[in-house]
Amino acid sequence: MAYSEKVVEHYENPRNVGTLDKNDPNVGTGLVGAPACGDVMRLQLKINDSGVIEDAKFKTFGCGSAIASSSLVTEWVKGKTVDEAGTITNQQVAKELALPPVKIHCSVLAEDAIKAAIADFKAKRAARTGQAAAPSAPSPQLHK
Amino acid sequence: MTDHFQRLGLKAHVDLDVAALEARHRELALVHHPDRQTPGDAKARLRAAEETASLNEALKTLKDPVRRGVYLLKLHGVDLEKDEAGGSGKLPQGFLAEILDLREALEDARAAKDLEKVQTLARQIHERQAGTLESARAALRRLPAADAIAAATPLLAQLKYFTRFLEEVDAIEEEALG
Repeated sequence: MAYSEKVVEHYENPRNVGTLDKNDPNVGTGLVGAPACGDVMRLQLKINDSGVIEDAKFKTFGCGSAIASSSLVTEWVKGKTVDEAGTITNQQVAKELALPPVKIHCSVLAEDAIKAAIADFKAKRAARTGQAAAPSAPSPQLHK
Repeated sequence: MTDHFQRLGLKAHVDLDVAALEARHRELALVHHPDRQTPGDAKARLRAAEETASLNEALKTLKDPVRRGVYLLKLHGVDLEKDEAGGSGKLPQGFLAEILDLREALEDARAAKDLEKVQTLARQIHERQAGTLESARAALRRLPAADAIAAATPLLAQLKYFTRFLEEVDAIEEEALG
């Protein structure tokens, strides 16, 4: 199966690969995996006090489409507010990268990673301010 | 639709005799060999080729204990092959973090061409794979109980990550030999 030009471009020059300090109260970490392929993706967002995403880093062990999907979303979320970033859908990612049907789950992984990172950040902030975590943001992180 | 077990005349069960499975496959593959059909009967030849492909797929799936387990779950309505991140095969954050760390360690070992480290990591995963597979098989023996499905699903999902890890180890070893 041939990858689209955009996938190859992100795969060869991935943007924002790396790690942010997961203990930083302004950093939200989203960790997701797809049992279908056995691959894992970590997305981290650094969010300032106005709720704007200042930095984003990812680390993905997966196929070209999974790497391209996570690379793309790190570009997209930077400069957006948390609420704006939360509206990014897997369809937008799949469309931008021209993913074939068998690779759609890679874009789903990227969407879930954003949501998980935001939920982690919100849970941290809620814990800091002593409020209960927002029930509208379910996440595996909340179990911890 | 004929499932893989039916195609090979076997009872759908987690424990199966692999030697008997292979013998049965050989027998049927001979019967359905495209070259053994009536000469000139193009339709029979095509049907035989399709049946041969199905038989090979059935053998590949049932021979491997992890694939067999995943397939048994699928017959009971849980399709890990189609599973999304938030689906039934969703695993705890701790497990995913561990896999990510291990994949990172493997990537570092690959970059450093440290084959000894690669082997150590592979042994570690092999051990966990064996233990998890044993638990998964114990759960699958209790099928079709609903709690058996619930118990086997996360274990087989974990096994998929171990399989993926070991595929990566194979690729590194081939690269080193090449």
